[in-house]
Amino acid sequence: MADVVVLGAGVAGHTAALHLSRLLPKGHTVTVVSPNSQWNWIPSNIWVGVGKMGKEDVVFPLAPVYAKKGVTFKQAKAVAIWPQGDSESDRGAVDIVATSPGADGSSERIRYDYLVNATGPQLKFQMTPGLGPHGGHTVSVCTADHAIQAAEALRATIARLKAGERQTLVVGMGHGTCTCEGAAFEYVFNVDHELREAGVRDLARVIYLTNEKELGDFGVGGMTFADMGFETSSELWTGSLFRERGVEAVLGAHVTKVEPGVVHYETLDGEFHTLDFDFGMLLPPFGGVPLAAYDKNGEDISASMFAPSGFMKVDADYSGKPYAEWKASDWPKTYQAIGYDNIWAVGIAFAPPHQISQPRTSPNGTLIAPAPPRTGMPSGVMGKTAALSIADRIKHGASAKAHEASMANMGAACVASAGAGMRTGSAAAMTMMPVVPDFERYPTGRDLKDTRGELGLAGHWVKLMLHYLFIHKAKGRLGWQLIPE
Amino acid sequence: MSDNSAVPVADLSKAPLPTEKMLKRRKSVPIQLTRFAVFNARIMRMVLKGHG
Repeated sequence: MADVVVLGAGVAGHTAALHLSRLLPKGHTVTVVSPNSQWNWIPSNIWVGVGKMGKEDVVFPLAPVYAKKGVTFKQAKAVAIWPQGDSESDRGAVDIVATSPGADGSSERIRYDYLVNATGPQLKFQMTPGLGPHGGHTVSVCTADHAIQAAEALRATIARLKAGERQTLVVGMGHGTCTCEGAAFEYVFNVDHELREAGVRDLARVIYLTNEKELGDFGVGGMTFADMGFETSSELWTGSLFRERGVEAVLGAHVTKVEPGVVHYETLDGEFHTLDFDFGMLLPPFGGVPLAAYDKNGEDISASMFAPSGFMKVDADYSGKPYAEWKASDWPKTYQAIGYDNIWAVGIAFAPPHQISQPRTSPNGTLIAPAPPRTGMPSGVMGKTAALSIADRIKHGASAKAHEASMANMGAACVASAGAGMRTGSAAAMTMMPVVPDFERYPTGRDLKDTRGELGLAGHWVKLMLHYLFIHKAKGRLGWQLIPE
Repeated sequence: MSDNSAVPVADLSKAPLPTEKMLKRRKSVPIQLTRFAVFNARIMRMVLKGHG
């Protein structure tokens, strides 16, 4: 009988746990370790952040779902991995520290035969002084609680606008190495929509501050679309939306610090600037969660298992080739950790081999480079892939071939709502295939048939549908397994 | 609100603006129902091709 431990209960970890509960024969155990007691459909935090949804619409408790599925749930955070076992046992182990309310911070060591690391990101607000809602001067939509604070701050800004005060609203990335530009893009157009609904748009200056060198980059190097017989770019397509809505953009920016009402930032040309603001929603850079690794003798082997960013190294090419020499085939396929074929790192937890968007440095040596996104659909697919590989190994033996799901062979949809309402809503709906461009297979890096962008009411319906569909799936309700990741 | 006149905003004056017809298309329920179906079909095709 095998014991499977899943670290993290976000999209990747929760998907892995649900599939494992479905695939494994009786007698094997699945244990999920997550510091959070609730599951959060993060894409809809955008709507919480403008007051269109409440927290209860985007989160639900994990424990009842796992109880129904026969999965053991431990509300705790993992702090150390022992992949070779320790002095007491050759089986791998994880040290966890309880985080539930009232927990005394007690720790325990749990054993595993198979481990899925889906720990997600550490929100590194501290990389930019003054950034973020924890003692900083900006809000965030990374968690449902952050989004509630964002909605309150936006409401206060709208009240000041209604009183006739001009206001500057800045939305974007709080550091030069941030990822998830799509989320900030979506939030800025929801803010624009709210201001229009409140009838105060003319008094507001809305600025999108981003580390992307060009609009429409989204951390994936932009996209080429086929439209009306021409090839066009996501830059042009996105620029059109910004111009239409009167949203201004500052590009290639690295935020150096935030003071009350003032963002300090450097641009790719090496110039330093300030931007006075009344409302600021700036996303933090991501890093791996603090997780150490030890060999059997207790020696720290973290450097061999994790990249400097804290993300776990898997079956990718980490040789550090120049950007221009990277290929799609360098990206991981099985997500098995280097040296340990019973450990998988999926979702944000795996270390990308290189940037998709071209990394750039300012004349002052400041790195301004959008990090590769690996959330949403790709995260879910990776979680399922790890579950399938583990189930096959348990049922058919160690020689069972690992399942593969390279981001260079996987598509993704990004639906950025730009206003709510069944008849008045709108969204920028994009699909890309594959996420990691493959210039050996496609002249533009991606399949033009499946790489599309369109604006309209239909996108809003898609976003709503995905909200209800994925919460249904995450709750493990009837037919959940038929809903694709 | 302070003076932000020196903010280096991108020049978007050359970005194409949608026509009135395009703006109506984006809100037309029958057209958008079709786009909804097409978008979902495309997602399903991507799932079948690349999601194992």
